[in-house]
Amino acid sequence: MAARKRASAKPIPPPTPETTTTQIDPPIAPPKKALIFIFCLLFSIPYFYLLYLHYKIEQDLRRSILINAALCVAGFFLTQRMIPVASRYVSKRGLFGFDINKKGTPQGDVKVPESLGIVVGIVFLVLAILFQYFNFTSDSNWLVEYNAALASICFMILLGFVDDVLDVPWRVKLVLPSIAALPLLMAYAGHTTIIIPKPLVSYVGQEVLDLGWMYKLYMGLLAVFCTNSINIHAGLNGLEVGQTVVIASAIVIHNLMQIGASSDPEYKQAHAFSIYLVQPLLATSLALLSYNWYPSSVFVGDTYTYFAGMTMAVVGILGHYSETLLIFFLPQVLNFLLSLPQLSGYVKCPRHRLPRFNPETGLLTGTRDGTLINFYLRIVGPKSEKALCIHLLFVQALGCCFCFMLRYFLAGWYK
Amino acid sequence: MAARKRASAKPSPPQTPETSPTQIDPPISPPKKALIFKFCLFFSIPYFYLLYQHYKIEQDLRRSILINAALCVAGFFLTQRMIPVASRYVSKRGLFGFDINKKGTPQGDVKVPESLGIVVGIVFLVLAILFQYFNFKADSNWLVEYNAALASICFMILLGFVDDVLDVPWRVKLLLPSIAALPLLMAYAGHTTVIIPKPLVSYVGQEVLDLGWVYKLYMGLLAVFCTNSINIHAGLNGLEAGQTVVIASAIVIHNLMQIGASSDPEYKQAHAFSIYLVQPLLATSLALLSYNWYPSSVFVGDTYTYFAGMTMAVVGILGHYSETLLIFFLPQVLNFLLSLPQLSGYVKCPRHRLPRFNPETGLLTGTRDGTLINFYLRIVGPKSEKSLCIHLLFVQALGCCFCFMLRYFLAGWYK
Repeated sequence: MAARKRASAKPIPPPTPETTTTQIDPPIAPPKKALIFIFCLLFSIPYFYLLYLHYKIEQDLRRSILINAALCVAGFFLTQRMIPVASRYVSKRGLFGFDINKKGTPQGDVKVPESLGIVVGIVFLVLAILFQYFNFTSDSNWLVEYNAALASICFMILLGFVDDVLDVPWRVKLVLPSIAALPLLMAYAGHTTIIIPKPLVSYVGQEVLDLGWMYKLYMGLLAVFCTNSINIHAGLNGLEVGQTVVIASAIVIHNLMQIGASSDPEYKQAHAFSIYLVQPLLATSLALLSYNWYPSSVFVGDTYTYFAGMTMAVVGILGHYSETLLIFFLPQVLNFLLSLPQLSGYVKCPRHRLPRFNPETGLLTGTRDGTLINFYLRIVGPKSEKALCIHLLFVQALGCCFCFMLRYFLAGWYK
Repeated sequence: MAARKRASAKPSPPQTPETSPTQIDPPISPPKKALIFKFCLFFSIPYFYLLYQHYKIEQDLRRSILINAALCVAGFFLTQRMIPVASRYVSKRGLFGFDINKKGTPQGDVKVPESLGIVVGIVFLVLAILFQYFNFKADSNWLVEYNAALASICFMILLGFVDDVLDVPWRVKLLLPSIAALPLLMAYAGHTTVIIPKPLVSYVGQEVLDLGWVYKLYMGLLAVFCTNSINIHAGLNGLEAGQTVVIASAIVIHNLMQIGASSDPEYKQAHAFSIYLVQPLLATSLALLSYNWYPSSVFVGDTYTYFAGMTMAVVGILGHYSETLLIFFLPQVLNFLLSLPQLSGYVKCPRHRLPRFNPETGLLTGTRDGTLINFYLRIVGPKSEKSLCIHLLFVQALGCCFCFMLRYFLAGWYK
């Protein structure tokens, strides 16, 4: 849930012609380019190492991946250009919020434009659609899944934006991702079997278990989980986009490793498919992060968290690595488990479950609410918002590294 | 362009807790069920006659069409249920307008909820997605086109709703449908050839002409045309939804006739594909019309006009009958040609190009603006809004009948 006080109850007074010039909202702060540049430098090291040196990946496949990456670079700059433009339009329409974690300081009175996820979503869709033209290794089956993925992600962006504008009740919010996942479930023509981990084979009695319609149910639930779990692990400047950037980077590394290490062409295709959708997610999210990082110039809205969650669920499903995806989502899983008592109503659930902000010290203190943010703060003590966000993103990255190590050690023994 | 004065410049005063009960917006008027019932009765005569009596259509195909129709009936009632619910949410968010054609009467001060096309769009998508499960004759090629169609229509609904909320500049509005049509253009794997009409073969030198990329450009322009032409032939209660209902009915009749009269399975498949998407359009539009018919309880918004235009462009393209579609769009073409001088800036173009409303007589008088509405009014004299809309819809129906006659007489000689 976005931790921004919705300003819709108090609409802005209409600008009269004489006062218009003095009441134009100031433009948003410039993007934090240095942060993004440092990340890109860091990330490109494992990326190009895996793509060129460590593995021998076919020319065609490598070229497709790089063309996709080039498209994504263009998408990054396009998103960065469009965000300030869109901010003026969303602000004018009353889609803005006040930063609760700065309440009591002058910044707490600044109107921050909301729902900038719509820019990210639209640029992502354009990139993903255009890429079809460049993909060399396409066949009929791949195109069905790709278009179904686009339809699902597009539907999710639509429903997310409708939610941001109309503020739908939370019970409806839970159902939205299942509806948006329908194109995917309908078009999914892959295996509905799972491979039983070797130690459990004796208990189950089979090596491979066909789940049939239950697998499709699992896919639908995965979509609901990914979207909503990002939505509730939120509330700090840069946390929603930051966690997506970390997980997306891990997904890209994972895809490259699987493409490089495998010899099964269908398996490689599945992971290539995933990369073609995650790279645009990563690039456009980085552009949004350059504005959303502390201190936030724009807020992302449910549009972004739903879009990001759905995209990752889609690639996890169609790339056939959803268990790996769930381990990347470990902090989100933890946060969900911690939140269960309050979300189920067993414990009283306030409107916002954010840490308590002290305007004098500028530090956040953990409350007794069941979120990972509060839990972490109660362990390490009061922190500033920026430091806390960095800590949590580091925890996210640690979770991803843990996943890689787990796969490394269990490979062969596990599957 | 919607002829509703955007009320966003004058937001309603904030509701204090003590005055809330007296300021709650009244619920919207009940739907005009009789009108819809009469239409359905009238339309089912040619529909069932063609489906059962006149042609011998295969069992399987007929069953698919009827299952689709049954889904659409459910969709009709769902849309009818959801519109009043959504109206409350959109009104609360400031998405309402005042009926310009009732200015000066008490009804001119009623806040009419806008953008209810979002309900139609979402129900349509759900119907179209679920239908994939029931379609017996799905093969890989069909699924690609279907999902690409869904992605295009979904993208258009998204962009239409973003336009309704953010009020994008009109130059951007022109561009939006081309962006939304991209999935369709990318996935289109059909003929890019046109059959030259026999009388012109001697001039062209060939019977069949391969246009290649020019055909894809034509497809993109068709999408831009269909969406925007419905958008500008608007401004009377029930006109946008009404013209869509008339054209969609004509499309369904046309599809049934082509399925029945043809023996080429691929040709039948193309028209079946079209029916599977137009029936949901027709059903959901009827539900919207029941609220939007004179006097309008809700306005449809650009969301609806873009969605309807895109859906019809999509089926025209994928069903390979875009020339027929354009003749169904004859009034829209006329309106576009009449509008060209003002839209191009050659003649001064006011914000609204509606006829002049006289509150005392309740009649509309045609101005010198270049629209079909004004042109028609200048020919037949002042009319009330309701009868003018009925006249224009009758003109639309006449245009469709003219198209059917043209095809009948030119068949054999023409192609």
